[in-house]
Amino acid sequence: MSLLAIEGVSRRFGGLTAVNDVSFAVEAGEILSVIGPNGAGKSTLFKLIAGFLKPSAGHILLDGKRIDGLRPHSIAARGLVRTFQETTVFREMSALENVVVAHHLRRRGTILGELLATPGVRVEQQEFLSESREILARLGLAGLEDELARNLPHGHLRALGIAMALAVRPRVVLLDEPFAGMNSEETARAVEIVRGIRAGGITVILVEHDMGAVMRISDRIVVLNFGTLIASGTPAEIQQNETVIDAYLGRADEIAAL
Amino acid sequence: MAQILIDGCVLAASYALIALGITLIFSIMRLLNFAHGELFMIGAFMVYYVYGAWHLPFAVGLVVAALVPALIGAGFEKFLFRRVMRIATREENTMLLAVGTAILLDNVALFLFGEEQHGVPETISGVLQIAGGFLPYQRLVVVVMSLVLIAVLLGFVQFSRPGRAMRALAQDRDAALLMGVDVDRTSMLGFAIGAGLAGLAGGLLVTIQGVNAGIGVDISIKAFIMIMIGGAGVVSGALLGALVLGFAESIGYSLLPGSETYLLIFVALVLFLIVRPQGIMGHPWG
Amino acid sequence: MPRLSAPAGFALFAAVMLVAVPLALAGQGYWLTVLTTAALLAFGSLGVWLTFSIGRINIAQGAFALIGGYVVAILGTRYHVSFWLSLPLAVLASALVATLIGWPILRLRGVYFAMITLSLTEVASLAFLNGGSFTAGASGITSIPRPALLSSSLAIYLASAVLLLVGIVIAWRFAVSPAGAVFRSLRQGEELAASLGIDIARYRLLAFVVSSGMGGAAGAMFAAFQQNVFPTSYTVNDSVNFMLYCFLGGLQTVAGPVVGTFLLVIAFQLLSAIQRFQALLYGIFMIAAMLFLPNGLMSLPQVLAARRGRADEAAPR
Repeated sequence: MSLLAIEGVSRRFGGLTAVNDVSFAVEAGEILSVIGPNGAGKSTLFKLIAGFLKPSAGHILLDGKRIDGLRPHSIAARGLVRTFQETTVFREMSALENVVVAHHLRRRGTILGELLATPGVRVEQQEFLSESREILARLGLAGLEDELARNLPHGHLRALGIAMALAVRPRVVLLDEPFAGMNSEETARAVEIVRGIRAGGITVILVEHDMGAVMRISDRIVVLNFGTLIASGTPAEIQQNETVIDAYLGRADEIAAL
Repeated sequence: MAQILIDGCVLAASYALIALGITLIFSIMRLLNFAHGELFMIGAFMVYYVYGAWHLPFAVGLVVAALVPALIGAGFEKFLFRRVMRIATREENTMLLAVGTAILLDNVALFLFGEEQHGVPETISGVLQIAGGFLPYQRLVVVVMSLVLIAVLLGFVQFSRPGRAMRALAQDRDAALLMGVDVDRTSMLGFAIGAGLAGLAGGLLVTIQGVNAGIGVDISIKAFIMIMIGGAGVVSGALLGALVLGFAESIGYSLLPGSETYLLIFVALVLFLIVRPQGIMGHPWG
Repeated sequence: MPRLSAPAGFALFAAVMLVAVPLALAGQGYWLTVLTTAALLAFGSLGVWLTFSIGRINIAQGAFALIGGYVVAILGTRYHVSFWLSLPLAVLASALVATLIGWPILRLRGVYFAMITLSLTEVASLAFLNGGSFTAGASGITSIPRPALLSSSLAIYLASAVLLLVGIVIAWRFAVSPAGAVFRSLRQGEELAASLGIDIARYRLLAFVVSSGMGGAAGAMFAAFQQNVFPTSYTVNDSVNFMLYCFLGGLQTVAGPVVGTFLLVIAFQLLSAIQRFQALLYGIFMIAAMLFLPNGLMSLPQVLAARRGRADEAAPR
């Protein structure tokens, strides 16, 4: 059984169909990328999977159980976490505090226990603190722990967002344009980080525009255009796929014709 | 029944001026003008002094009722809100400032005008009888003038250059900036006009209800109710809100004592907002 | 200047409130009353501070103070219930109302939440006004018996001071615990918090219910202290004042609302000599605070340090 199954999912906004009868599966342990020209419906699809939108039609199953219609925090509790493009972090907190907060689902105590600072809670908080430091170091953010998130440069903000997603110890993570705005050196590092995430046993689904990175890192690729799934397969297969080439080239033609 | 309709129309028309004023300010500056009721009160006092006490023509009183609050509004925008909006770290700062301006005006008014209730003589006497209801000519004057002012305002916002700049700012701040809209001047003008409308409403209603220095808070609350019903920042919402409140009051007052009417209005409002938080015409968000 | 650590500051404040003040003001009924008022208002402000921490502008605290006051008033005068029982019942009543009404309205933010909470204060006032014989309408409820053990001004003051200290501890525990971090995360990004598994609806409600419970407790104590309650005991003005005290003191620290409340209440009383200008100066003070100290009084050291820093940079070498 696939870890994540998208079955006939559609999403309409008034007269506009942003996602149209999309179906695909994600296997445990793979890195799957969702690509497509601008406006293809990739962000909408992410929001649907993570519970920020309800599908107009279709089902989404995690481990064979339906998650469509559940609220985001419930879906996170079941092991599926997403990162965001904008506002990826809590700006007024330090990097360390951000990652500690992200340990929320791993708490074993109660709110009352936290208020009373029971020994159990105190031990747990120490655990979370040291684990947070370790995650930050792994993502190249050691030394920036006490820096306020809003002072961090763009690239580090992205890394922090991923650090927070990792702190949840999810089974699936949805990365929203993790390579956006990066130069080749930064991209290479980010690729390694994503591979490291998968090595840690987490299934990764990416939305991305950087084709080079996508081809290098993905086990499989799914292509959307105008809300419809037009192709899926390995990077090699996608690169040869005529429909995909048309979809991207077609756009370039339109622009050139103006 | 006819009386309820007549009273409802009178209230709705004058309340619409209040609602449009606060909506204008909100749509341009994303600011809830807590001092709106106080500006209404000042307008009312202007007519009281100019027309009631110094016996100058009512029209002159109305002009002053519009100008003095407008100047106060422009001053607030230029010297207070502009600065705080730039340096504010949290959105609550501007709201607190707005509250401060309301407190300031409340107390200045109390200091200058005293606590007593004041009224003004009728500008026109006599009563019209329509369909079994009574419409004093004074109230008819208020309705007609309100409608004229509403039409002028809507025309101004729709067709004039400053008006279009205001609409641009309200719809998309960044795009407006890119198109060269002078944000500071447009905001100041918007605040002034919004304040002026409040003052005019006060100046008109003083002929029916009189005025005292304490009505500011109540009128501000009515303004909030109207934009909560109709939707903040939307002209059609303001007008709808005024209609609903005006008729709710006239129906309510004919059936129940005053405070019970408002209790029902508030409870209905809270329930309505739970279902539709953005008001009738407001933009859905979240 | 070395900064005072939080526990030391708290101990100092407690010592002043519980020891120094009673010693200095034992016979001064007037000033004890002022400080009692300040302590209870500060307690209510701490509640509002909690809702600020989740990013909501809460103008409903007056409603809950009113509920608390009436619970004590009705139970005390009509059913002869001891204050020490009706106080927790007042808190419970406020918490219950906050749960019922909070659940749907906490979805709203910004001015929308502000306006609906403002309406709630009005609803409470009007409801008690029109409560018929149950709430005694406009005449309110008077001759509320003083609680057992709290017959003197000094006793009431001490009880209020203790309540405030408890409130400070509660607010502080929230602030430094993981729950408090969750609250702050709600203010800074509800969507992000939800994506990390935080049940944002539940935490929002928790903040609001604790805040309202504190409002109810403050109202209950006031009723016992002033021995009366009217529909107009708490109006929109009072709800707004709670907000002001928080803001003036500064929203970053637990000390903020306490400092803000005490400063304004005491200043207001000191200005009573210039009675006529009292409220006017109040308004001017507020505006000045917004203009020059937008982060509240507790940020004054930072603001001054920043100015000194800039002056240093500008000085010729």
